[in-house]
Amino acid sequence: MSMNIFGAEATEEKAENARLASFVGALALGDLVKSTLGPKGMNKILQSGSSGEINVTNDGATILKSIQLDNAAAKILVNISKVQDDEVGDGTTSVCVLAAELLREAEKLIAQKIHPQTIIEGFRIASAAALRALERAATDNSTDPARFRQDLVNIARTTLSSKVLNQDKDYFANLAVDAVLRLKGSTDLEHIQIIKKAGGKLTDSYLDEGFILDKAIGTNSPKRLENAKILIANTSMDTDKIKVFGARIKVDSTGKLAELERAEKEKMKAKVDAIAAHGINCFVNRQLIYNYPESLLAEKGIMTIEHADFEGVERLALVTGGEIASTFDHPELVKLGRCELIEEIMIGEDKLIKFSGVAAGEACTVVLRGSTNQMIDEAERSLHDALSVLSQTVKETRVVLGGGCSEMLMSCAVEEEARKIQGKKAIAAEAFARALRMIPTILADNAGYDSSDLVAKLRAAHYEGRSDAGLDMNEGAIGSMVQLGVTESYKLKRQVVLSASEAAEMILRVDDILRATPRRREAV
Amino acid sequence: MAAVPASVPAATAGPKAFNDKGKPMEVRLSNMVAAKAISDAVRTSLGPRGMDKMIQTSKGELIITNDGATILKSIQALHPAAKMLVDLSAAQDVEAGDGTTSVVVLAGSLLGAAEKMLQKGIHPTIIAESFQKAANKAVEYLTEISTPINLEDKSSLLRAATTSLNSKIVSQYSSTLAPIAVAAVTRLATPESSNVDLRDIRIVKKVGGTIEDTELVDGVVLNQNVVTTVGGPTRIEKAKIGLIQFQLSAPKPDMDNTVVINDYRQMDKVIKEGRQYLLNMCKKIKKANCNVLLIQKSILRDAVDDISLTFLKRLNILVVKDVERDEIEFLSKSLGCKPVADIEAFTEDKLGYADLVEETSHAGAKVVRITGVKNRGRTVSVLAMGSNSLVLEECERSLHDALCVVRCLVKKRALIAGGGAPEIHVSRLLSQYANSLKGMEAYCFQAYADALELRNRHALGERNAGINVRKGLISNILEEDVVQPLLVSTSAIELATETVCLLLKIDDYVQTR
Repeated sequence: MSMNIFGAEATEEKAENARLASFVGALALGDLVKSTLGPKGMNKILQSGSSGEINVTNDGATILKSIQLDNAAAKILVNISKVQDDEVGDGTTSVCVLAAELLREAEKLIAQKIHPQTIIEGFRIASAAALRALERAATDNSTDPARFRQDLVNIARTTLSSKVLNQDKDYFANLAVDAVLRLKGSTDLEHIQIIKKAGGKLTDSYLDEGFILDKAIGTNSPKRLENAKILIANTSMDTDKIKVFGARIKVDSTGKLAELERAEKEKMKAKVDAIAAHGINCFVNRQLIYNYPESLLAEKGIMTIEHADFEGVERLALVTGGEIASTFDHPELVKLGRCELIEEIMIGEDKLIKFSGVAAGEACTVVLRGSTNQMIDEAERSLHDALSVLSQTVKETRVVLGGGCSEMLMSCAVEEEARKIQGKKAIAAEAFARALRMIPTILADNAGYDSSDLVAKLRAAHYEGRSDAGLDMNEGAIGSMVQLGVTESYKLKRQVVLSASEAAEMILRVDDILRATPRRREAV
Repeated sequence: MAAVPASVPAATAGPKAFNDKGKPMEVRLSNMVAAKAISDAVRTSLGPRGMDKMIQTSKGELIITNDGATILKSIQALHPAAKMLVDLSAAQDVEAGDGTTSVVVLAGSLLGAAEKMLQKGIHPTIIAESFQKAANKAVEYLTEISTPINLEDKSSLLRAATTSLNSKIVSQYSSTLAPIAVAAVTRLATPESSNVDLRDIRIVKKVGGTIEDTELVDGVVLNQNVVTTVGGPTRIEKAKIGLIQFQLSAPKPDMDNTVVINDYRQMDKVIKEGRQYLLNMCKKIKKANCNVLLIQKSILRDAVDDISLTFLKRLNILVVKDVERDEIEFLSKSLGCKPVADIEAFTEDKLGYADLVEETSHAGAKVVRITGVKNRGRTVSVLAMGSNSLVLEECERSLHDALCVVRCLVKKRALIAGGGAPEIHVSRLLSQYANSLKGMEAYCFQAYADALELRNRHALGERNAGINVRKGLISNILEEDVVQPLLVSTSAIELATETVCLLLKIDDYVQTR
């Protein structure tokens, strides 16, 4: 006899089924993104179902964010990849792939009738051992500026080499390092502005100090200004209207009407005078500036920039050290922004306004050029990844080696540890080591090399004591990662192992999936 | 074993995205097919004997063109790869302005080459990297064979502009249009300038006459006509030009208002006061010695009404209305006057001076010209004429391309031969270079070289047999006056390669929200 415990359409998957459903979902997701891993990783086209827009990317977080999922475990993977993106900015694919590989191993163990809890225990021991090994391998060069910079450049190169900027990675690595070093230790990437303009090639991109605003300077005002004092405002520069609905004026002649019009203009003039009383020579408004105030301001020699958007005024306030004002009665209370030079520059076909020598010395702008919009968007994502990794590295200065070296190192350490473990947990720990080894395997697979051969060689090299051995993707051979300069942030790697094992653990513990009744929607 | 049956329902009931997932090779091939289809669509418009396309837009408008960028913009590409090629052509338009067809054809033939390499089993990333390197090499070779030019050397500029125009519909008029393009750009460029803002060159289109009537005006041409409804003057010598942003019509405050009239005597008063108000404004304008008035368009109220027009006519002031706000900047720059936003601020020092402002009727088209401008800024006006709007539009596009070509020479002052000669040259050098390489890279370089040649062969196939590039030397082409800016070729190669590499690396296609 069966009884309906759940409401109609609510479902429950139990024990074995639930676990399998999670495994299948997670593995499928892992397989989807794994081909994007590494310097020879592939791109994916994301096409939006609704608007038909396309996006070409190999950024794990972007891919995972945009696909539609209907599987609980897969959603967990998407989440850890998002967290990775927020925490360190890069390694979003790695974390997802590693978690999927851990689950793949776990699935096999479960087939051998090992209880999930035993597996989890083994995984925990293994991940602790792996992290210890990683910490031992990490080096810190922060005391020596020259070597530290080299480290940063190497990290940027490693990050970028797996992206679309691969060809010009040296150029962009230096660009990113310059930008991050300007921040002087702050991780606030707001100060680095990225402007995208189609046309030109990737290497036409450049780093510029100061701030660039994609707007035009008002008619008749000076096009170049030194020692600018900037008032940033958000105020309406048409007539100040009385905001009472249906306010009307009754007059009995046209002359009175003309007087009213004149009064309105006088009012505007008073406002402009109040603005000018701040002793400024540049006025930036978020809203439109109409003809009349514009010409009044121009007469006073004040440069006007209208319609600068919310984002524009906020950033401008941030970098020039000014405040956004909306009343002008108390000039002494308003903080003005300052910069050394405002000028018009041309990028491609467009004219933009450049503020250089701004108060916030760390501010800078990266102008990205590229052949197609997809190219620039992807370049922006890559650069953003590199920038966030770099800014994190400036905080946590330790670095580890990339190119599958760290993974192999950890894998070896875990295997060592597994020998000392008694009981079934040892099998789980060994499985963890195998999962870690999958990362170099995938790297080699993506590049079209014989992965089993290369990974075996790599493992042998590590057991021989060459702890800096990794995969040289250009040659398809084992090489020294120290010499090749393939470096990654310690924090990134640690985060990858931590989140991946946590996620795997979480999914393993699941033995029941309950689905609530889908909410009814009225048919449109 | 339990995993196998369980995975099947999970995959089908699960995320929709996975059902769309094709095999990497299939995805790649489908990208190539789509991209090649696009490049085939524009291929026939390449070269001096290229064919034109007729495009009917969704609104029913008709465009006849052989400008690659225009054609591709109008194609509603659905396939992602096809869309990227459309973007590619737009990027070339921004960067160089010309060569928008070439860049797509080049990308198409590079993809064709890549496809063959893929079938040989070479890994796409290797192909992509080799292509990038080959592109760098190609640019190097191109730079080598280029000849530096001086901006003073008008004849070289002229030849470059002519070459660009020769592949357009308006090719028979290249002798008219090329000098216009050269003169326009050189007037704006200084020996130091590295770029020219084409927005400082205004092309005014008027239907009437033929393309031959197109001319570079020494001064300013207006889009608008003189207002003659009440019979104002159409010709003013020694003109003082005022550019106003206020309105010459009954006053209207921004607040809602009502004029309350109690009896008929008051009605007279209201009308009289209205006239008086306008008369005062007109008198103030006259007092500032202004005799030509350009009035900005207003959306809130009439920029100028009949009464004020009558007054202005009596005061012998020429009136042009409906000047757009975007035009104010250009006009104030070229006429040396300042826009005035309030009648109180209307003073003589804000006016511009010109020897003659005149509306002439030429081949059925009325045109306002302002000539002999004092204190003129660095702007140029071109009056484009054509017998119908289709021809006129194409004429403008061609002129724009020619301007871009000349601008490219300002940006990067070097010329190379046209007519496919450089491509053959680079292709030959690249194959030589390929022989010196080892491994799979050599194949890729060879393929790249072949792809360049392919692009060229199409261009040649549609040429008449006058120039035999196979036998002839590069100098022959130069003698034929077929030259193009270096920037057009290099940017085409770089951009096409960049896009092809991006396409090659795609192995999956995911449907998202």
